[in-house]
Amino acid sequence: MWTRKAAFTFTGGIALILIGMMISNHQMMILGLAFIAFIVVNSWVSGHGDVEVQRTLSADNLYKGDDLYVELLVTNRSRRKTQQLEVYDNVPHEMKLRSGLNQMRLNLKPGESARIRYVLRCPLRGHYSVGPVSLRYRNTFNLSVDEMYVDHHSDIIIFPQIRDVEEAFIRSRTAKMYTGATTLRTPGPGTEFYSLREYVPGDPFKNINWKAFARTGELMINEKCRDAVTDLYIILDSRDIARIGTVLKNPLEMGTVAAASLASFFIQRRDSVSLTIYDEKLSFLPPDTGDKQYFKILSSLAGVAPRGTMPLQAVTNSLAARFSRGSPVFIISSCEGDGTVPSAVRDLVGRGHEVTVLSPSSIDFERLVSRIPRMSYEVLKIERQNRLTSLAGFGSQVIDWMPDMDLSQALLQVRGY
Amino acid sequence: MEEKPRFNRRRLALQFAFWFVLLMLLSTVVSKVINVGKDEGQSAYGDDWNDMSAFRLDINEMGIETKSLVSSPLLLADIEDPANTTFIIAGVERDTISLPQFSSDGFLTFASEDGYSPAEVNAIKEFVFAGGDVLVMDDFGYSSSIAESFGVRFKGVQLYDTVYVTELDYNFVWMCVQESPCGMDGTQLDPNTVENHSRWAISDGGAHICKVYDGRAIAKSDAGVCEQHWKDGAIQYNASYQVLLNNITGIDILPNTKTGMGATQIRSVTSAEATIDVNGDGEIWVGSEQNAETPDLWGQFNLSIEVCISQDCNFRDGGRITFIADGSALINALYDYEGYNDGDYGKADKPIPENDNRKWAMDYIVDSLVDPEATGESADVPEVAPNAMVIFDESRHIQPSIASESYNTIYFLLVYFTGEGLAMLLLFIILFITFEGVLLKKKDPEPWRHVFSIIYYGFGDANRYTYYAKSNKIKQVFLSKVRNQNGLSREEFDSLPARDLQGMISDPVLVKFVFENRNYSLEQTVAIVKRIKVWGRT
Repeated sequence: MWTRKAAFTFTGGIALILIGMMISNHQMMILGLAFIAFIVVNSWVSGHGDVEVQRTLSADNLYKGDDLYVELLVTNRSRRKTQQLEVYDNVPHEMKLRSGLNQMRLNLKPGESARIRYVLRCPLRGHYSVGPVSLRYRNTFNLSVDEMYVDHHSDIIIFPQIRDVEEAFIRSRTAKMYTGATTLRTPGPGTEFYSLREYVPGDPFKNINWKAFARTGELMINEKCRDAVTDLYIILDSRDIARIGTVLKNPLEMGTVAAASLASFFIQRRDSVSLTIYDEKLSFLPPDTGDKQYFKILSSLAGVAPRGTMPLQAVTNSLAARFSRGSPVFIISSCEGDGTVPSAVRDLVGRGHEVTVLSPSSIDFERLVSRIPRMSYEVLKIERQNRLTSLAGFGSQVIDWMPDMDLSQALLQVRGY
Repeated sequence: MEEKPRFNRRRLALQFAFWFVLLMLLSTVVSKVINVGKDEGQSAYGDDWNDMSAFRLDINEMGIETKSLVSSPLLLADIEDPANTTFIIAGVERDTISLPQFSSDGFLTFASEDGYSPAEVNAIKEFVFAGGDVLVMDDFGYSSSIAESFGVRFKGVQLYDTVYVTELDYNFVWMCVQESPCGMDGTQLDPNTVENHSRWAISDGGAHICKVYDGRAIAKSDAGVCEQHWKDGAIQYNASYQVLLNNITGIDILPNTKTGMGATQIRSVTSAEATIDVNGDGEIWVGSEQNAETPDLWGQFNLSIEVCISQDCNFRDGGRITFIADGSALINALYDYEGYNDGDYGKADKPIPENDNRKWAMDYIVDSLVDPEATGESADVPEVAPNAMVIFDESRHIQPSIASESYNTIYFLLVYFTGEGLAMLLLFIILFITFEGVLLKKKDPEPWRHVFSIIYYGFGDANRYTYYAKSNKIKQVFLSKVRNQNGLSREEFDSLPARDLQGMISDPVLVKFVFENRNYSLEQTVAIVKRIKVWGRT
C-alpha cells in the first residue's frame, strides 16, 4: 500500500508531466518523470515481514494486580534486510503497560535477532490472550507500507485476588463451624503415618518403604491415617444484576475475591471445596481438595461474567442431592432481584446445612456510579435490611458486605439478626 | 434452525438492469471512440498496395526524417522548425472524437463531423503560417474542415472525366498538373496537350529549385535534391506531370473567404467534359440546369489547388498547403507502379500504366524541404534542409488492431487534455480535485499505541428511585420491617388485628402513617423515613 507521501509524489509527478505538456516545459516534464521513476524504483525495493517471533511470559497464571513480564524475540529469517520494520505485540486493553514498550522499530539484517521486553500490570481477572504480533514494514523512503501479523498467541489466566481470612475465622463465630481436616485413627488416604504392612499387588509404588525393604528384604508399604475433611459448598451469584458498580468494585468482583479467598483458606486446611456459579446457566464443580481443585476453582472464577437471571431456588433444588449432609454452604449474593432467596435459604437450613450468606450491598455499589436520592437510598437500604433479616430468621448467618469493607473485616461481622 | 438467505428478485433484477444499461452505454461510447478496422487503412508504415511505404522510403533515402502523428495535429504547435517540416494528410478515414472545446469566439462548442476539431484546424493553420507545408490528399473523407479554413472545399462525391486510363477503367483518371486541361488521343493521353507545372516551371520566385538549376552541367553526386532530374551530365528538369488518380472528387474555391493566405492557385483541372455524380447513384444525368431529373454536374472541375502565404508561393517564405482531389494518389500501387506490376505488393489484377506520381511527389518534397538558404547561385544543387522532416498524419487512419487503436485514442486524449483550452481547464480542475482527494482521503496507517481501557459502569435501574420515594412503598417497606422484627410469617401478619399492629408499632406518628391515607410533604416523608430507620432499635 502506498503511503501518503507516495501518493503525493505520484500525483505530483503526473501533474508535473501534464502541466509540462500543457505549457511545453520539458524541465517540468522531466521532473514529473523523475518523481514517477522514483516511485517505480522504490516499489522494487520494499521491506518484508518474514520474521520469526517467539514470546516468553514470566507466568501463565497470575493473581489480579500482579505484574507480567513479557519478552518477545524477533528473528529475521530472510536473506534480505527487513528495512523499516515495526513490531507491535497486541496486548489486551485491560492490561496496563507498566514499563517498557510493546512495540519497536527494527531494521534487522539477515539472521539478526532483537528482543522486546515490557511489563504488564493485570488489574482485572479473566482469561486473556497476548498476541498476535502485528508487523508493519516500509521501504527505505517510506513510500510503501504493508501490514501483516504473526498468529502467535500466549494465553494467560488472571485469578481473583486472595485475601487472608484466617484471623477472621479464628475470631468469628464462623470458625467454630469449620474445623478443617482432622486425622482419624483408621487407615486411609491422608497425610499422617499410621502403620507398616506387607506389600499387596496393586499398592502404589510411591508408598513402598524402601528403607524397610533394604533392612528386611521384603516389600513393605507405609499406611496413612485417613483424614476426616469438611465439604464446603460455595455458591456464587453471577447474575446480570451482580455487575452494578464500577469495574473494580461491584458485587461480582467482590464475590469472586471472597470465593477464591474462602476456597484458598479451606483447601489449605485440606477441606474439600465445591464451587457453584449461577448466571444464565448453572456450573457446578464437585467438592475436592488439593492444588488441582484449587486451580480449577480459580480458573472458573477468572472466567466469570455477569449475565442471566437464574433464581437461587433453582440452583439449590438441582444441587441439593449432591450436597453432603450437614456440610456448610456459603452463598455469595447481593440477594437483589431474586424473590426465591429466602425460600432457598430456608430449604438449605432445613436440610441441616450451615448456611452463611455473604451479601455485597448492591445499593451501596450502585451509589458509586449513580446519584441516588437520599430518601430513596434510605428506603432501599431498609428494604435490604428487611431481606437480610428475613434470611437470618431462617437460621442462616448473614454478612452485609459494604464496598469499602475488607473481606476479613466483613467475615467478623457475622450476625444472627 | 439455520435460516436460508433471502432471494430478493427485485434487487437482483435492478442490479442486472443497472449493469446492463451501464454496459450498453460504455460499449456505445467505446464503439464511437475506438474504431477498429481491417487492414485496409492507408498508412505510410504499411506495405500493402494501398499503403504509402514506397513514398516514405524514398523520402528517407533523401535523408529526410519521417515521423507519424498518431494522436492529434495539435502537436504541430510544438514543432521547433515548421518551415522545414511537411505535414502530409492522405485519406482522412474517420471523424474526430467530439469533445467540448472553446471556439475562436470563446464559446463552448463540440466538434462537428468534419474530421478535425477547430483547435486542430487552428493548429494546422498556425503551422502553415509559421512556414510549414501541408499536403492534403482526400476525396470522400473528413478533411472538409481543413479545406474550408483555407478557402476551398472538397466536393466529396465521385468525379468522372474523359481523361482516364482506358485499359483499366473510368475510375483511374489522369491529372495533368498544369493550368489548362490535357486531352486524350484515342485511348492514350495526347502528348500535345501536356504542359508544364504552372509555378514550378516559371522562372520567378516560386520556381522549383530544379528549374533554377535546369540545364546546368553537374556531376550526379552534386545533383543534390535534383538527382532524379539529372541526365547525361546535367540537370534536365521536366515540369510536366501526368499523375494517375483513382476514384477522385473535385475541389471548389470558396469565394470571398478570409483565410489570411496570400494566394489561392489552381494547379490542375479536369477536362471540360468531366461529370460529377452528385446524388451518388452511379448514373450521370446532366442537363443545362441542375434539377431533380438532372441532378448531376458536368464541366471542368479543379483537381489540385495550392494555397500559399506569399503571392508567388516561393519555397523560401514557405507556408503552403496543397490540396489533391484523391486520397490514394501516393499509394504503392500508383506511386510504385513498377513494383506493383512486378507483384511486390501482391498479385496485380491489371498492370498500372507508367505515370509521374513518384516524380511529382519527389519534386513536391524537394520544393517543400529544400534548404531555404539556397539562392541558386551556388555551383552545386543544394540539399534538403538539415533538420527537414516529413510528418504523416496517422491520427485519422483506422487502425488494424484494438491495441493500436486504443494507443491512438489514449494519445489523442492526452494531447487533447494538454492542448485544448477547455480540456486544460478541466484537467487543472481534475488535478486539483485529485490533490484534494489525496490530501483528504489518503491516510497513513495510525501509529500503534497500547490503550489501557477498563472504563465500565454497571448502572442500576434509576427509574425505581422515584418509586421508592412514594409513601405507599415506604409504608410497605415499614410493614415488612415490623413483620420481620416480630418474627411473623406473611399469613400471620396479614391476619393480625389492627389494634395489635398498632401496639407493635407503638409509635403514634408511624401508626398514623400506616393507617391514614393522606398526602405527605417531602419534609414530612423524610421525617417518617428517619423514624422508620430508628424504629425497633430500642
